[in-house]
Amino acid sequence: MPSSAFAQSRAAVAFNDDEATLQRTIALLEESDDHGGAVDPDVRETAFARYLALPAPGARAGKNWRYDYAALEVAGLSWSSGRQPVAALPQRPGAKRLDDDASADNLSTANAGGLFHVGATVLEPRELPSLDPRVTVLPLADARRTHGDVVAGVLHQLIDFQTDRFAALATAFQNCGAFVFVPAGVQLAEPLVLVFASAPDPAAVFPQIVVVLGDGARATVIERHIGESESFICGTVEAHVGSGAQLDYVAVQQAGESARAVVARSARCEARATMRWHLAELGAGLARTTLETRLEGEGANAAINALFFNTGMQHVDLATTVRHERGHTTSATIVRSAANDRGQGRYLGNIIIRPHAHGSDASLRDDALLLSKRAHIDSIPALEIAANDVKAFHGATVGSIDDEQLFYAQSRGIGRGEAERMIALGFFEPAVAHFPSEALRNEVRTALDAKLDEATERA
Amino acid sequence: MNERGLRFSDLRANVESKEILKGIDLFVEPGRVHALMGPNGSGKSTLAFAAAGHPNYTVTGGTICLDGSNLGDLAPDKRAKAGLFLSFQYPAAIPGVSVANFIRTASQAVHPDDLTPAKFRAAIFEKLDVLDMDAALLGRYVNDGFSGGEKKRLEMLQLAMLAPKYAILDETDSGLDVDALRAVGDSVNDMRKSDAGRDTGFLIITHYPRILQYITADVVHIMLDGRIVKTGGPELAQTIEREGYDRIREEAAAGAL
Repeated sequence: MPSSAFAQSRAAVAFNDDEATLQRTIALLEESDDHGGAVDPDVRETAFARYLALPAPGARAGKNWRYDYAALEVAGLSWSSGRQPVAALPQRPGAKRLDDDASADNLSTANAGGLFHVGATVLEPRELPSLDPRVTVLPLADARRTHGDVVAGVLHQLIDFQTDRFAALATAFQNCGAFVFVPAGVQLAEPLVLVFASAPDPAAVFPQIVVVLGDGARATVIERHIGESESFICGTVEAHVGSGAQLDYVAVQQAGESARAVVARSARCEARATMRWHLAELGAGLARTTLETRLEGEGANAAINALFFNTGMQHVDLATTVRHERGHTTSATIVRSAANDRGQGRYLGNIIIRPHAHGSDASLRDDALLLSKRAHIDSIPALEIAANDVKAFHGATVGSIDDEQLFYAQSRGIGRGEAERMIALGFFEPAVAHFPSEALRNEVRTALDAKLDEATERA
Repeated sequence: MNERGLRFSDLRANVESKEILKGIDLFVEPGRVHALMGPNGSGKSTLAFAAAGHPNYTVTGGTICLDGSNLGDLAPDKRAKAGLFLSFQYPAAIPGVSVANFIRTASQAVHPDDLTPAKFRAAIFEKLDVLDMDAALLGRYVNDGFSGGEKKRLEMLQLAMLAPKYAILDETDSGLDVDALRAVGDSVNDMRKSDAGRDTGFLIITHYPRILQYITADVVHIMLDGRIVKTGGPELAQTIEREGYDRIREEAAAGAL
């Protein structure tokens, strides 16, 4: 697809995280009823004030984040908001690296519902995919008009921009986003897909996503970040999972090597609800991800499967938090991370069990694999348990490839490089195996394999 | 023309700078079965690891030649490609790597243009049958959560699939019940009857003569303290069965051997 098809439907402004840019973006949004206007101007101003007031993570509370976010440079990007009509959703998004990828079809929204963004511009297909008519998938701004109360009950309710500096920035400059609503009792077989492809020019993209599952509903939502350019993605995802509902939320981040992606995600689970996160951080030069799960209803449960693999100069900060607020809630967190070359990573795993969360059961398993001398991964588990009759387990390892495994594979004729690659891929498998479809599992395996290749080529 | 066989000549090897092998001479011909017996700590496993090229075992003297080529400083995978196979006493688990994937990768490495995927499948199923193993094993991770018996059967499955020129079986019988032992024996005998395995030379390392009831040895060697002190026919294994190693140890100490 030629890049002209991605032309912005409105003028962009040069982005900077300053008051003047905020006022220009507010003025820009007020000129139209654009989908980007999902946040009221006064909320944007409040959020921006918080952004300025809050310290950058890593600058002072240095131990929690590997990267010093005060050094994060955001000037020189463009901020825009718009929508672009297209005849049909692109089967193969414009990003170069996907052209020859057989799995690229998976990235289209064609066989399910979804939204496709290029930069902050949402592509509006004339032919809509065969979405279950009971289900709503809309740009967030449209949803504010059609589902105002539902949106208001979740948006900015789970992630507090008063305390989270990047959530404040995302709220102030919100320029795209999605609303997914699966009413009570509706169970979807096919996943809903939200794609964020980078625009040809370096852009500042601030998506805010709201997912609401009614009681007993079931759905899989896949959030993808793809493309090559030097974008800055700063967003929030807030999910409400009703009683007995089940949400699989997949986030696959394959942004370009010079992209920065800072995303906070949080889910609130009612009684007996199931929330499963599946996170693969594979791209971007710098990625900072927080995943919070609030088990607020009796018997709610959560699974967190997360992996990241840093090669080259890549840097990932990942934090997961599970809050056991009520009794008989369960959670299982599995994190697998690896780093090669000069890759840097830090994982913070928090489990919080409140005094009244009797009979709860939490496990946290976190393993890191270092594939080069200059790679570095920190692992910081933190369990805060205030109830007595609970089960809580945590285990963490950081290590390199085991010599005996290597010798065993080599003794079978498998060359050292191939053996290392096989063992490293196997290392990720406990997290990969939980991804909710074979197509996704294979896609993640292929991506990990390609990253191992890149590292081998550089070596 | 190169001699055919696996030859250890005056092999000396250290583990953590302690000399364990003190000059081993041993020659395993194609198609023959040699048993290497000896008490714990006599150096049998060291011989196996030194042959396979384990980085912690340093050869300080002598040579190991496979069909006339010195294995010298070859990496372990090059030795396997040359035709050597080691069945491990304690095989490593490789979580996340399926048995099928592992054996296919190994098979492609050792026999690059040998088997089509369909033939590979047919071959592996046939061998699973002989070993009395469930096909579900192919989807499990290599040795991960395997019982002792399952691990040894998996070693035999790999042996049968890779059909090496020379196979060293390190204590394959240890910790096996009678059924597993019979399955191991059946697998090796089945292989020796096949075209691919007819010429395979075996070095069966064992503490007890039990496995030799299932696999008949042509030659039996007794190893004590890093040296081979006695070599004989299958009857030597029966002597050990009856008398243990004490008599041989006394004879060796008295300089009679």
